[in-house]
Amino acid sequence: MMKKILMILMVLLAVCAVTFAQGQKAEAEVKESVEGFDWRQFEGETIVTCFPNHVTYNALMPLIPEFEAKTGIKVEVDLLQYLKMHDKQVLEMSKPSGDYDLISMVVMWKTEYATAGMLRPLEPYFENPNLAYPDYDFDDLVPAYVENTGYVGGDKIYLGGEGATLYGVPFGAETSIMIYRQDIFDEYNIKVPDTYDELMAAAKFITEEVPGVYGFTSRGASGHQAMAGYLLHASPFGASVFDENWEPAFNSPKAIAALEWMKEMFKYGPPGMTSFGQDGQFQAFLQGDAAIYLDASVFAGKARDPQQSTVYDKLGYAMHPLKESRLSESGGFGLGIPANASNPEAAFLFMQWMTSKEVERKVIENGGAPFRMSSVSDPALQAKYPDFAVLAKQLPHVNPDWRPLIPEWGEINNMLGIAVNQVLTGEKQPQQAMDEMVAPVREIMVRAGYIK
Amino acid sequence: MSSAKGLATRKSPYLFILPAFAILVGVLVLPVFSGIRLGFFEWALRDIGKDPEFVGLRNFMDIFRSENFHTSIRVTLIFTFSVVVLELFIGTVLALLLEKGVPGLRFFRTIFILPVMIAPVVVGVVWKFMYNPSYGKINYFLQVLGIEPVGWLSDPQMALISIIITDVWQWTPFVFLLILAGLQGVPQELNDASKVDGANYLQTLVHIKLPCLSNVIAVTAVLRLIDAFRGLVVMLIMTNGGPGVSTEILSLHLYKTAFTDQRLGKASAIAVVLLMIITLLSIFFITRSMKDEEL
Repeated sequence: MMKKILMILMVLLAVCAVTFAQGQKAEAEVKESVEGFDWRQFEGETIVTCFPNHVTYNALMPLIPEFEAKTGIKVEVDLLQYLKMHDKQVLEMSKPSGDYDLISMVVMWKTEYATAGMLRPLEPYFENPNLAYPDYDFDDLVPAYVENTGYVGGDKIYLGGEGATLYGVPFGAETSIMIYRQDIFDEYNIKVPDTYDELMAAAKFITEEVPGVYGFTSRGASGHQAMAGYLLHASPFGASVFDENWEPAFNSPKAIAALEWMKEMFKYGPPGMTSFGQDGQFQAFLQGDAAIYLDASVFAGKARDPQQSTVYDKLGYAMHPLKESRLSESGGFGLGIPANASNPEAAFLFMQWMTSKEVERKVIENGGAPFRMSSVSDPALQAKYPDFAVLAKQLPHVNPDWRPLIPEWGEINNMLGIAVNQVLTGEKQPQQAMDEMVAPVREIMVRAGYIK
Repeated sequence: MSSAKGLATRKSPYLFILPAFAILVGVLVLPVFSGIRLGFFEWALRDIGKDPEFVGLRNFMDIFRSENFHTSIRVTLIFTFSVVVLELFIGTVLALLLEKGVPGLRFFRTIFILPVMIAPVVVGVVWKFMYNPSYGKINYFLQVLGIEPVGWLSDPQMALISIIITDVWQWTPFVFLLILAGLQGVPQELNDASKVDGANYLQTLVHIKLPCLSNVIAVTAVLRLIDAFRGLVVMLIMTNGGPGVSTEILSLHLYKTAFTDQRLGKASAIAVVLLMIITLLSIFFITRSMKDEEL
């Protein structure tokens, strides 16, 4: 009796296995013939990627099995807090053979990596007909994002232009737009700010007149966070960190004006804003404590997600306000292939797949940020995601030179960020704080050989 | 024959400690020396594959000229001395209160020891939430009492105090336990004798208990002192040194120099200074407590 049952079970199992395997094979064949591109050329390889815990990457995670099924390549993801990735990546990439085949890098690090020879130039891959996916449409990637996340060696070392080499493509790249509480603006009949003066007036009005709600939310914690908050205003005010000759310009009248404006604005934010990192800044808006957000555009995905946001259905979007210009942030993440990667070709396939038009749409659906012109300007998507229309208008105003992406930036960023925070907490006056930073920053620039 | 045997006996102790000595040199002495050596080199984290460049005393001159380093030393000293004094005081008072058979002593001891066992990372995160100006518990209770919300971690005047409170909360129990153990070691005869002589509680405390405890207190102070100097995680999580550099204690300054600024040589120079300060303080406390012993 027992034997019979066992026999029947085994036969059933065998039948199942055969049918299933055939089904899978047939499916794969269909895909190949439709696309005319050999996605399965690296079947059986395993690639290891280093990704940040970030909205757009989190939106990609559930899609990865689709890539594995399509290509037969196994993908392992090392998911880290974004500022922690740097040390681990440097360590891996300075070994003769590293663990990572594909890394996500904050744009601040691209020059450092590329000039140290830690990344592979991507042009040879895109020019190789066996590897380059024909429907990829490189030119459709947002040009400012490509320049900011991908090119090294052109103007000022860290921009595109003559002599530049492509080391990365954008994924999780961003610019800055304004997100505000439509309900409050409607109820109190406030004009949506189009200039920096109007923004200040609106924030002041909301803080004073709307019970329990502050006008503005910003990051302000000492170091990187405060500096990122400040740079958002520096570009529209016409200020930059260095002048054309790498001399410090962060104490120029325009730079000080931007800092004064930021200090004033901090009066109209929730308490404790001088200790806010990005998370504190987001939470203040998501919990309904602050009415205006002006920072990275990727936040739109979080803000409209009912799981994370208490104000998901009360949102309005606007362009970065105008001062001298509307020059907005360029930042976020790009993808690069380490020079010491074990499976660079398979990694390149994954990179193309992640940033392809089809996958981008799915990433957007999962709450990720767009990075292709075709999706941002698609009327159907604009109807579904009202921020896309604003983004489409903002993208021509992205400033690829938003901050100096030189290898020494980490140290300078931290020093200036401490000074900005000291201004925000009232410990120092703007002019004094920035003047004091000139000598130490110059010293770094002299040591690195930019100036004498 | 006899002289050869004598030599062997004289040498054999060294032979026995040789393995321990070798391990000590390998894992302690050599790294310390290579750390000190690195203090004289310029080595960026991004150049980790290349050879460091010798720069002489430049790193040391850099740090002594830097304002942030001076602030950092000041913050470290204020932090360390505040927490050590507060913890020793509160810990000793608690130990004296709970020395006698208070009902539920075991229960209290277990409760008291809990903070010590929590990982510093968790302590940092939990207190950061409690200090949060908008949805933190502490400001909520203050509000109930009608007190204006306090910017615990965002006000440069308050941030260090907030961190001192957290450290005192976490480490007082540790001091309490050591002092309590010390108190139980005070010979009962001395207590009885003082009672017979008609000494009141205060006199017994000042003339019998505290002198007997002095060694325990000294050792506890050294342990807390060294720990406080090296403390990093709680600040890293709660304030990351901010606002400004108002809570950037020396070890955090060192960490940031190495991993944010990526200057490993300069970070090593700071480590050397930190090592010297801790060594001097430890020698001071240890010789003091030794002297007491001789008396």
